[in-house]
Amino acid sequence: MKKYLVILTLATATYFVGCSDQLDRFPVDSLVEETAYNTVSDLQFGLNGVLGSYSYNYIIGFNSIFTDNTRVGVDNGGQDTGFGQQVLNADTGGFSFGGGVLWNSRYSVINDMNRLLVAASSISPGATEEDTYNNILAQTYAFRALAHYELLLYYGIDITDDSALGVPYVDYVSADATPGRDTVGDVLAAIDSDLDQALALFPAGTNDINFATPDFVTFLRARIALETGDNPGAIGFCNQLIPNYPLANISQYLGMFNEDADKTEVVWNYDNVQGANAGINFFWNFSGQGPKWEISRELFGLFEDDDIRKTVVLDDASDLDDDRLVIGKYPINANTLAINDYKAMRISELYLTRAEAYAKAGQFTLAAADVLAVQEARHVGTPDPIDFNNNLGDAIDVIIQERRLELCFEGHRYIDIKRVRDITGEGIIQSEDLGDCGGAYPCELPASASEFILPIPQGEINGNPVISEQQAPGY
Amino acid sequence: MKLKLTWLLTLFMAFVMQFSFAQEKTVTGTVTTADDGLPLPGATVIVKNTSRGQQTDFDGKFSLSVNVGEVLVISYVGMKTTEVTVGASNVYDVALEADNALEEVVVTGYKGATNSAKITSSVATVKAESIEQVPITSVDQMLQGQAAGVNVSTGSGQPGQSATIIIRGRNSLNGDTEPLFIIDGVPVDQDNFRSINQNDIATMSVLKDAAATAIYGNRGAGGVILITTKTGKKGSGIQVKYRSLYGISELPEPKFNVMNTEQYFRFQRDLLPGDQLGDNLSDERIAALTRQASTNWSDILLRQGVTESHEITVTTGGENSSSFSSIQYFKQEGVTLGSDLKRFSFRNNFNANSADNKLNFSTTFTGNYSVSSFVVDAIRDTNTGGDLDNPFIVPYIGLPYLSPYNADGSINIWGTGPQADGGSGAYNADGSINYDDVDGFRNTPFIALNTAALGTDEESEIKMVGRIAADYNFAKNLTFGTSFGLDYTYRERLFINPPGSIRSFRTPSDASEFKGTQFESYYRDANFITNAFLRYDNNITEKINLNAAVFAEYNYANTQVGSFQAYGLNPALPTSGAGFTPGDTTEGPDNDEYNYIPDVGSSESELALGSVFATLDLDYDGRFGLSGSIRNDATSRFVENRDGVFWSVSGRWNIDNEGFMDSVDWINTLKLRASYGVVGNQNVGSRYQGLQTVNAFSGYQLGNAYQLGTLIDPAIQWETSNQFNVGLSFGLWQNRLSGEVDFYRNLTTDLFAGKLLSTAGTGSGSITTNVADMSNTGVDLQISYILLSKSATNNWSIRLNANANYNKNEVESFPGGFTGNTLRIAEGRPANTWFLPRWAGVNPADGSPLYLDTNGDLTSEYSASNAVYLDKNFDPTYTGGFGADISYKGFSLNSLFAFQADRWKQNSSLALIEDTSFTNLNLSTSVLNAWTTPGQITDVPALSNGSLRAVDGDRYLEDASFLRLRNVSLSYSIDKEVLEKTNLFTGVRIFVQGTNLVTWTKFRGFDPEGTTASTFFEYPVARTFSLGFDLTF
Repeated sequence: MKKYLVILTLATATYFVGCSDQLDRFPVDSLVEETAYNTVSDLQFGLNGVLGSYSYNYIIGFNSIFTDNTRVGVDNGGQDTGFGQQVLNADTGGFSFGGGVLWNSRYSVINDMNRLLVAASSISPGATEEDTYNNILAQTYAFRALAHYELLLYYGIDITDDSALGVPYVDYVSADATPGRDTVGDVLAAIDSDLDQALALFPAGTNDINFATPDFVTFLRARIALETGDNPGAIGFCNQLIPNYPLANISQYLGMFNEDADKTEVVWNYDNVQGANAGINFFWNFSGQGPKWEISRELFGLFEDDDIRKTVVLDDASDLDDDRLVIGKYPINANTLAINDYKAMRISELYLTRAEAYAKAGQFTLAAADVLAVQEARHVGTPDPIDFNNNLGDAIDVIIQERRLELCFEGHRYIDIKRVRDITGEGIIQSEDLGDCGGAYPCELPASASEFILPIPQGEINGNPVISEQQAPGY
Repeated sequence: MKLKLTWLLTLFMAFVMQFSFAQEKTVTGTVTTADDGLPLPGATVIVKNTSRGQQTDFDGKFSLSVNVGEVLVISYVGMKTTEVTVGASNVYDVALEADNALEEVVVTGYKGATNSAKITSSVATVKAESIEQVPITSVDQMLQGQAAGVNVSTGSGQPGQSATIIIRGRNSLNGDTEPLFIIDGVPVDQDNFRSINQNDIATMSVLKDAAATAIYGNRGAGGVILITTKTGKKGSGIQVKYRSLYGISELPEPKFNVMNTEQYFRFQRDLLPGDQLGDNLSDERIAALTRQASTNWSDILLRQGVTESHEITVTTGGENSSSFSSIQYFKQEGVTLGSDLKRFSFRNNFNANSADNKLNFSTTFTGNYSVSSFVVDAIRDTNTGGDLDNPFIVPYIGLPYLSPYNADGSINIWGTGPQADGGSGAYNADGSINYDDVDGFRNTPFIALNTAALGTDEESEIKMVGRIAADYNFAKNLTFGTSFGLDYTYRERLFINPPGSIRSFRTPSDASEFKGTQFESYYRDANFITNAFLRYDNNITEKINLNAAVFAEYNYANTQVGSFQAYGLNPALPTSGAGFTPGDTTEGPDNDEYNYIPDVGSSESELALGSVFATLDLDYDGRFGLSGSIRNDATSRFVENRDGVFWSVSGRWNIDNEGFMDSVDWINTLKLRASYGVVGNQNVGSRYQGLQTVNAFSGYQLGNAYQLGTLIDPAIQWETSNQFNVGLSFGLWQNRLSGEVDFYRNLTTDLFAGKLLSTAGTGSGSITTNVADMSNTGVDLQISYILLSKSATNNWSIRLNANANYNKNEVESFPGGFTGNTLRIAEGRPANTWFLPRWAGVNPADGSPLYLDTNGDLTSEYSASNAVYLDKNFDPTYTGGFGADISYKGFSLNSLFAFQADRWKQNSSLALIEDTSFTNLNLSTSVLNAWTTPGQITDVPALSNGSLRAVDGDRYLEDASFLRLRNVSLSYSIDKEVLEKTNLFTGVRIFVQGTNLVTWTKFRGFDPEGTTASTFFEYPVARTFSLGFDLTF
């Protein structure tokens, strides 16, 4: 029997030799943070990650569905109806366009950018890598500025008032920070500083429109100036870029929104490719172009027949006889994969930005000329001359309507209405007669509505005792 | 009085012996079971207070030299020990009676079978009889209604679907809530039993309190279920059994009604505002259309599924070894086309010991191969239930006016003509396929039929569970043992969306020339366990027994997955790679589009657990017992807090063994138990939860990209469950009434939950770490009453049994107070509690919906801010089961009812077919009662309100409590004497059986059970009728 004992003892001893080492297990499918970033090309991977998650889904979807640009589509199976019904509260953060609410999406990508900057600080590029390294940093600063600007625009209490509460400006990595709102002035100053850093770091000749460029910085500054009421500033930044970018002509415009065939007037292009595609078309349509959300009849009625934009905005799957107006600005294209870039900054926007700034500055003739320039580029026929009769209200009505036609489904409508509602006295008004609203879908959101400032998501309120005291009014 | 007499008699006999020579003689006898009169081999016959004795042979016979007046003690596990005083006779035939529950052995962890009187913990045992030959294909599902405090729910009626088991209330919020499953000492995947043959199971022990589970350390907090498979009995010879079962399954009766064609068109014409197909139809036309087609889609999509089982078992028992072997072929079809399970199971269990019983050796092994076919059901992959090829959405939304048949009478799997002509839209007027509408809502029934008929979604699995164990009693009182076990699963998935099917039209893209896709994945999961122990067992004094053991154990799990997906299949080469379109094929106007690039994937993960632990059991005179256990677990999952210590102490007082109880005749068993201990749950988060990872993926412009993985807390550790249990086991009136009552309170601390962070400050809204606390307080009751038992004069036996659990769950603390929107985890309330605005019916004045505001006042405005806690929870407060086992001569009728009560679910399926804004779907007949005239009292608002689903509050929150006749069987066993004449059979049993026959519920759907809080077209659990027989040779 002794032999059994020996066998068992030996067997057991074999099992347990080296057992303690067996408990250190590292993942096969992912990296561990401490050792992930070692080279400049690792940083490039990090930047690809940042830009890949810089999502415009929320902005594009929200600006159309929440406003008068869409009505509920025939194939809607309950998708985003809450937003169509303008239900907006701290809890309704979830939006089916992926990526979560804008607040979480942008701060998450800001965190990624800050981590990337920390990782970059410990890497010394070789001589041949200097430009790549600097470009990565420049891109990161530029997008950090853009992200904070967008947060300020949607969540800030009043972007035109430097002393009003804005949003937290975050340029650090922390596991437990609970920042409060910084003032609008502080946020704008920090954005400006990031943009300056980006400009200083761009290698000479940076002009790939699929990334941030010096022109991207100027374009962003023009937007900021218009929003903050800095009309001379806005005019100045527009003047810097407009001469360098021609407005697309009719065929170029058609190409721009079909197969991404033309980028004449694009200053910044968010490049969607097969396999890394935001699928913008599918915010409104099921595959096969069954519409969850359609073009509102009011908007569609505003397009004149000789306007190329009418052709572009209406998808082939539409059926005018059946009143089925499918959004076609991001068409399925020949390969039917509906891969379309997001033309995030187009020069026509700056024409209308400058027009608005001119109008607000009382220079109505110049304002009318900029509007007319856009109209001339889009219409086959010759548009009627425009005269604002030195009336700001008239001018804003025309300019904003032109923006609506030019920039619909590109993430502007809600912000445009919000920006000029003090002048027009109007919020979001939809037409019940045309069938764009009614029932559970409200026909008017007054200019004074609290919904013009987005609520800080409940999650942030819960996790951040400082900002929980600073929720936007009305939520 | 009786007692005194016995003592006097003994005294007298002592005197007798003093004055006479011992009359030694040889007595013989046969030990049989009282139940069926069969000889009982292996029973122990000893002479009381001596070491003389022997075991009965194959024929139950014994032969002993004894003195007249000595007492024979005849015992056998699971039978009542009987004593016989030797008198004048030389032949003593003894019939042992089956022991009632409390005297039985109970299987507990690392100790094996223990006499139930010595158990200090709370354990429920489910025996083979209630598991065998029931056509439920996942052993975890079998537990429903069988044991107090064990809540079993099944998410789908797919054959082989694993159940979700929660013991004594939800004990984790984000971690694993299910118990650890151990088959013959080997921890196994708790979510996959479809390949295992449940007829092999001898017992299932449910370990419920810390006294029983702390020995499983950081895996035991959710309870432990020990499955012991059958073994042969030593000395029993060879026994061969053939078992067969045939059954059919069908869906339960739905508790909702949808419109027929006439109702549908009349509804559109007369009630529904807006433009629809039915608007201008005359009564005659509607009648004509109804004659053409008024389809009940349930009849078309659903079928009677066949269950078939054939099994041969062979048990052997020699002097020093025994074995159990089985092979089974089992097939079960689901209630819809394309859903089935086929398996081939094999088992061999072998036990041997040395002649001196000092060395024991055992192996258990089961190897199984199963093939499952799946439909597009609600819980598979990323399905939502709303998928149009889900067969179970069709009975709800399939339009009645569409005919399911082709002109030749065969089933149409494509759809019909243009929608404007009253068709489903699959074809244009010219007969070509309308690619825009063929996958639209109206074509739903045909899409489902098409996918079921043409698509393939199959998993073939090889599953092996085995263990080799040996122990050696190498010195007095000392035993050393070791074991090695394995749970191995290899699974291949084959998914084909074949070219030409409706679902292939857009795959890989609308414009691609070649269509269809094939996905295959290869999953391998291997779990190893090695264990060694040293046990000391000694009667230190006459009254004190000490049993102590130390163990070392190592668990290692390795999981690998590989997969590919190819596009553009050649229909002439089905399933073959030769038929895949090469990935570098380009198409398009500029010939620059890649439509066929295959997707490939590969992944691996590991988990290791190193443990040392010890147990101690002390028994004093059979009256008091004290047990303790302690375990140190070190897991690779955590980094900074790797080691956890878990322990328990427990005690018992066997009151029935006290001297003062001797005069209380009617109490046979009375035992008080109490335990307290600390158990852990490490199954939370990923296998690398303690490491901050960076994920690699395809980012901007499809470039290689890095991004921070989920933010982690490096100090993360297991969840800790502090469990207190006090219980009473009782057996009254010769154990005719027996049972157990347990009160428990479990406080789980360090629960994994999102510690709320500022997204602005940290980039993440929360970090999962050990922050929340939750308690479960409740009572388990298990009771059994023998109304009649068989005897020489009585052919009847009736036994009633019932079990029930009341559980109160409360979230004791939660960061931020709550999480969730309408279904919440909220502090001070049970987990999964509903928070919704209250629907208050329809305003009779104008047909508009009414709500209650937070004050309970009526309002016509819907507002999310009027949501309140409804005191309705998803998890049931009461669960249990009851049944009766009745037998008369060879007949026996066994029944089991199971129930869950105070359980609330959202009925989103019904909400969809009461949403009249969907003009492409069929609707519930309930909307025919929609409000039309002022003053009308109805619960359906005026149709002019359009879709109310986004503003329906708690309108569809329904009571999903149910009582189910889980299983009922009537069997007949042919009389032994008759069988003897055949010289072939030793046992013949035939039976008919109904499974899930009736379900009583208020829930308006197919099945109230399910595992999701918001039901959306799930695959309901089927009703099965079966018949079968067991032949023993």
